[in-house]
Amino acid sequence: MLIDFLFVLVGGLKFGAIYALGAIGLVVIHKATKTVNFAHGALIMLGAYATFFLLERFKLPYWAVYVLAPTLVGAVSAFLEFAILRPIRRADMFIVIIATVFLAIALQEAVRLPYDVEMLSVAAVLEGDPLFLGDLIVTQESMWIIAGAFLFAILGALLFAQAGLGRSMRAMAQNIRGAQLCGYSVDGVYVFAWFVGGGLAGLAGVFSAPSLGVSPELMVATIVPAFVAAVIGGFDSLRGAILGGLILGIVENIAATYISAGLKSAISFLILFAVLMIRPEGLFPEGRVRKV
Amino acid sequence: MKRDGAGFRELAAPVLVVWAGAAASLFFDRYTQYVTALLLVAIMVGIALVILVGLARMITLASGAMMGLGAYGTAAMMVHWDAPFLVGVAFATALGALGGLLLGLPATRFRGHHLAMVTMVFQFVVIIVISEWDSLTGGVEGMRVPQATIAGYALKADWEYVVLIAFFAGLSILFAGILIRGHFGKALKAMSATEVGAEAFGIYVAGYQVMAFVISSAIIALGGALFAPEIRILDPDQYGILSSVLMLAYPIVGGMTSLWGGIIGGGLLRAGPELLRVVDEYQELVYAAIVIAVIVFLPGGLVEIYGRVAAALGGKRAKASPPERPQAAARAAALGHLAGAHPVSHPKGLVALKTASVSKSYGSLKAVSAVDLTVAAGSMHGLIGPNGAGKTTFFNTISGFIPPDEGTIEIFGRRMAEEPARARIRFGVARTFQNVAVYRTLSCLDNVIIGVGENDVVASLWHSIDEAVGGRASRARRERALNALAAVGLADVAGEAAGSLSLGNQRRVEIARAIVSKPKLILLDEPVSGVGAEEEERLKELLRSLNRELGVTMFVIEHNIRFVVDLCERLSVMSNGRIIAEGASAEVIKSDDVRRVYFGEG
Repeated sequence: MLIDFLFVLVGGLKFGAIYALGAIGLVVIHKATKTVNFAHGALIMLGAYATFFLLERFKLPYWAVYVLAPTLVGAVSAFLEFAILRPIRRADMFIVIIATVFLAIALQEAVRLPYDVEMLSVAAVLEGDPLFLGDLIVTQESMWIIAGAFLFAILGALLFAQAGLGRSMRAMAQNIRGAQLCGYSVDGVYVFAWFVGGGLAGLAGVFSAPSLGVSPELMVATIVPAFVAAVIGGFDSLRGAILGGLILGIVENIAATYISAGLKSAISFLILFAVLMIRPEGLFPEGRVRKV
Repeated sequence: MKRDGAGFRELAAPVLVVWAGAAASLFFDRYTQYVTALLLVAIMVGIALVILVGLARMITLASGAMMGLGAYGTAAMMVHWDAPFLVGVAFATALGALGGLLLGLPATRFRGHHLAMVTMVFQFVVIIVISEWDSLTGGVEGMRVPQATIAGYALKADWEYVVLIAFFAGLSILFAGILIRGHFGKALKAMSATEVGAEAFGIYVAGYQVMAFVISSAIIALGGALFAPEIRILDPDQYGILSSVLMLAYPIVGGMTSLWGGIIGGGLLRAGPELLRVVDEYQELVYAAIVIAVIVFLPGGLVEIYGRVAAALGGKRAKASPPERPQAAARAAALGHLAGAHPVSHPKGLVALKTASVSKSYGSLKAVSAVDLTVAAGSMHGLIGPNGAGKTTFFNTISGFIPPDEGTIEIFGRRMAEEPARARIRFGVARTFQNVAVYRTLSCLDNVIIGVGENDVVASLWHSIDEAVGGRASRARRERALNALAAVGLADVAGEAAGSLSLGNQRRVEIARAIVSKPKLILLDEPVSGVGAEEEERLKELLRSLNRELGVTMFVIEHNIRFVVDLCERLSVMSNGRIIAEGASAEVIKSDDVRRVYFGEG
């Protein structure tokens, strides 16, 4: 009994780690640029495709994929900021939202055209024997995803919180003019935030490629949980996004196992709705100034 | 004012254009007619979303669900209860309105991406219910829509649906046009310019938002219901999240704040996939790229092209000549009209405002601490004090924006209980704002018309209709507003957007908006902050004459000591949340206490 439950928990942690990684990129972009990136799922999907190409076509080693794929996706993301979002930075918020939504559709279609039906698969990173922790069996792949994704998520959060760059991003998000007067370059910070956020999305794509498969559907499959995780955390809290991903992954897996497998996506909507209605500021909000 | 012929033309033009397009399709083949029917439905969605997204500023990803409610509602009525087609359509429209109400009530608590999420949850829930409730909807298998008949006449051909849908689309456009051009639309624009400024004049923001959800959802459901027999077999996927996303783009690509924007956005975007059949499998990619390109190059939407072309053709329209200083006589006459026949006189000793031990704390900070203050009716009373003294918090308790922790507030003898800010206008309390809160996108005249009052949601719907038919009530409101504008010296800029005026003139618009309802008490929050010395002098004269002619009591917060001492006969001084001195202005500022606290002297 207990072993079964632990097994479910580990499975939940694995997805939770991927969700957390997705959510954290979303939060980085929102924190720095006040843009809600509905194209984030598409960036994760791009990360998965990049993994497939680098690994299966170019036969690169996995460590190189972990470096190259996030860099590539980060570059695409930075380019999108530069080419499409920069011209509409001053436009109405709705216009920005719609622009990212249609970017997502365009990116999805761009990969759907050549690889429509097939679900591409990639090898797991670690294919050694599973580990036996008492009676609990955990594959090395799961271990790596849980450990690795959380490690990267926490690293990203620390980097953002500590580095001068995180400070300039936060300054920018709170008061653009003020930050400009203090000598920060808005354009530079925006592009960089999108690079970092996109890079984190790419990383989430690399982590999810072996277990979720590489297909255009990955866009939808990852954007909803990433959003839910970010909302649970308060949307502006990196710590919250990590915990939110964790909670969502575990609750989803428990519900899918013990209640009904069909409930898996319904449960994320239920959590989303409950959090929005009861605690719209998220479970782990950052201290924020009340606007009067 | 004379009957407004231009107004009628503006209302009729979009209907006639859409009808002309629909009529033209009757000369083409069946496929063209089928697509035309699709476009007419999309146009209905476009105008519905202009109201909800563009004017009420509520983003929605639930349009597909609303359309699904319409289609399935009609079909279910016809299949399970043998209802005639039009009864089914009426039921489905009501169902859409109910859906809008259910979604709108929780939705008003949210903005931006949170709202997008909430509406998305609604969207998924509706589709899940439709898919799972097999016995009613046929579930994922789909539901066959029976043959539609109207008064015994069976609708079979595509052109018959074009005629039917064009009729209802025309009605919807007319209805939406009346609302958008009328008082309802003005109130929505006022809200989106400044929610605080709107609430202060009795606009219940959440009420308008719910009404916008109800109206737009009903129109979308009506569109879905009318088209249902053309689809023949309904399937929940048609109304999924993707359809909601595509529909949200209609007003944004077309132009968010105008009826034409909704018509053009809906028509062109829905035509897109049909026109793009030539590019085959690249259809979605090209479509998305076109939408993005329009957004990037025309952030105001496609209607912006018209504006640019008109500007290019007409050259630069001569800017209205700088407003001359209005003649004192004209102003006095306007003031006289505003004051009405009855000369104002207040019995001696009448009290306009009386607060008793009003307190308000933020955490451990006692912002306002047991303040007792009395303002005599008809007087001009000033409130000064150093920064952080609690003046603004105290002011906000009087205007209802902040409920006091303790204490009572009476206005002309009536105790203000829990009434929120928007109710205070009914008690004859109007206010201006330190950071001017004019409705920037509205004309000066419309700003002041909102100040006249009767801004609750249902009244605004009636006013909109009254305005469309040039009714007497709205002419009277307009007349009053023009007088108020003339009284503050802004008669010649009545038609200009309030946001385009100088700061001093924006303050004048606020004053006109505050006096037009002939309030008994006006709260002025730093009325001359940020204006030059000359303008300051003119505003002082203006406020004096308003006080004299209208008999309105004025309670003024001001940092500018010279101004407030000149303007007000009595002065209260606040420091650390308490009143530390009160009396005739000239004497109060001489008192030692005040000089010490305020000027740091002694």
